[in-house]
Amino acid sequence: MTTGIELRNLRKLFEGHGHASWAVDGVDMTIGAGKFVTLLGPSGCGKTTTLRMIAGLEIPTSGQILRDGQDITDQPVTDRDMRMVFQDFALFPNMTIQDNVAFGLRVKSKRGKYTEPQIQQRVAEFLDLVHLKDHAYKKPHQLSGGQKQRVSLARALVTDPKVVLFDEPLGSLDANLRKIMQLELIRLHRELGKTFVYVTHDQDEAMAMSDAIAVMSQGKVMQFGTPREIYDRPANRYVASFIGHAHIVDATVDSKQADSLTVRLGNGDRVGVRGKADAAPGSAVGLMLRAEDLTFTDTAADAIGGKVVDSLYRGEYVEYVVALNGNSGVVHVHARTDLPQVAHGSTVALKVNPAKAHVVVH
Amino acid sequence: MTTIEQTVEIKRTSIRSARAIERRRLFLWLVPPLAWFTIFMLIPYATLLYTSLGHVDDMRFIPGLSLDNFVRVFTVDPYLSVIIKSARIGLMTAVFSSIVAYPLAFYLAFHVRTQRLKFLIYLLVIVPWWASYLVKAYAWKTILGSGGILNVGMQSLGLVHEPVRLFLYNEFSVDMTLTYIFTPFAVLSIYAQLERVPTSLIEAARNLGADGWMIFRRIILPISVPGVVAGAIITFSLAFGDFVAPVLVGGPDSVMISNVVINLLGVAFDWPMAAAIGLVIISLGLLLISASGWLEERTQTRF
Repeated sequence: MTTGIELRNLRKLFEGHGHASWAVDGVDMTIGAGKFVTLLGPSGCGKTTTLRMIAGLEIPTSGQILRDGQDITDQPVTDRDMRMVFQDFALFPNMTIQDNVAFGLRVKSKRGKYTEPQIQQRVAEFLDLVHLKDHAYKKPHQLSGGQKQRVSLARALVTDPKVVLFDEPLGSLDANLRKIMQLELIRLHRELGKTFVYVTHDQDEAMAMSDAIAVMSQGKVMQFGTPREIYDRPANRYVASFIGHAHIVDATVDSKQADSLTVRLGNGDRVGVRGKADAAPGSAVGLMLRAEDLTFTDTAADAIGGKVVDSLYRGEYVEYVVALNGNSGVVHVHARTDLPQVAHGSTVALKVNPAKAHVVVH
Repeated sequence: MTTIEQTVEIKRTSIRSARAIERRRLFLWLVPPLAWFTIFMLIPYATLLYTSLGHVDDMRFIPGLSLDNFVRVFTVDPYLSVIIKSARIGLMTAVFSSIVAYPLAFYLAFHVRTQRLKFLIYLLVIVPWWASYLVKAYAWKTILGSGGILNVGMQSLGLVHEPVRLFLYNEFSVDMTLTYIFTPFAVLSIYAQLERVPTSLIEAARNLGADGWMIFRRIILPISVPGVVAGAIITFSLAFGDFVAPVLVGGPDSVMISNVVINLLGVAFDWPMAAAIGLVIISLGLLLISASGWLEERTQTRF
């Protein structure tokens, strides 16, 4: 028996104004129990629709959703023990914070699960968990955005669900608050051991919090892996360019060794890449070069040549824009700020960290 | 070279003169609304008050400063009892309108998916207002009367053998007619409030395991209260001041306060008494609007 949530060839067709399109187009994924999994992608990539299908708020056009091995595709939203945290918080404006948090328990209490004193105690406990016990008798409109989001978190967690779903929960908060809430969410995930499925378009957020990330585009999962895998070993050009400051330079496989290969750029420069790639010698590939993996070097051997066309002082580092020789691409280079400034127009040689250079085939 | 004090003084003077110009401009802007207010509000009300304090002697208006007419409103039959009856009809209209309007407004706000259908239903709610009030009130005669649809239908079904005369020419038929005519106001008022409920609230409640009834009772109904109150106030006020329905479908005893005022202005030629009743009703209206304003404010949900 598999635990966690399993999506099998999940699809969702959206129809409207005479045309139809696949919002989600064949998603296969296994979300392990107790994991923090993020669906990442630009708006319209199908990540929210996928989440809403897991929650039961959207009915899949085809495919299956399994929960601990059981098919829950047709289970009504009210019966799925998964709580959702909404982007607009969706707090009940006519109720106090306490009643908002108690709502899910009162629903259950109708089935005789909790007595009123138990509800009160549990609500107090969870308001304390999100540092809001002094606000129990306020109405939602009296709270700040961050506080509202914490109420909505408490409301979701108080019923002790095994799965918590987050639909861009930090999207409407400012940058500072977002950082604080990220830490808070990581802490809650660690302490409570629940499965978190998280939707965001913010890659930093996804990288920092998740056990695994599914990068989505046009209704499909482009890559599903740990943040490290996705950053260091993107499966294709889309993922490589979406995550981090990666530049992809067109190249041809020159020669292939047991666990490394050499690629040749358009201008004839050769770069060694560690690891395996599913490409035969002579085939066209993309060489992913991240700014932090490139360094200026004095020796022209085993280096790629170019010319500095721009430099930007970023405080933490200096970012150089380097046009590679022979019009074969543009890369960015991050250099330490205490090194001497490289003048515009200077010819430079770049050394590539072979452990971090990566080849994408598609 | 100017000192700091001089500079500050120059600034102060220029600010003062700028303010003077502002004041003159403000006055110009205030003239139209003030004129409007004087011509259409102050003068008519003052005339009403002036008239109500005098009396009529031998078909001639004698100005005076007597409160007799106001005392008569509350002591001489049938003025007070007719006001109470009008209020009762207004209240019934408000209650029935809310009951009829709520489900439609609810359906319109939560169940109509396409914008086109929403517009169509919205139009159907408003369209009766393009027809004459008289025609609509008269139509109820053909529904409720002895030869009306209701009686003919019941007879042909064998439910009754004689036409039932209870439907028409009484307070109930006035209630029905006024409810029919004024319900659109309640629909629009309740709909406007229900429209404010974000879909995510309902989704959040369902996600927490709430059934439809609980969502309605705990979330939608409380949020919609101000809309119901506003609609009820409008329908009450319109029904309270009505004078056509009692004439067309009302019985001999369903005279409403506006009919009394019309009589006083016409046949009885007692303008001061009519003015006094008018002022009493306006005062009651102000009281009612203040009370409902307070109630709406108290029950309004802030998002």
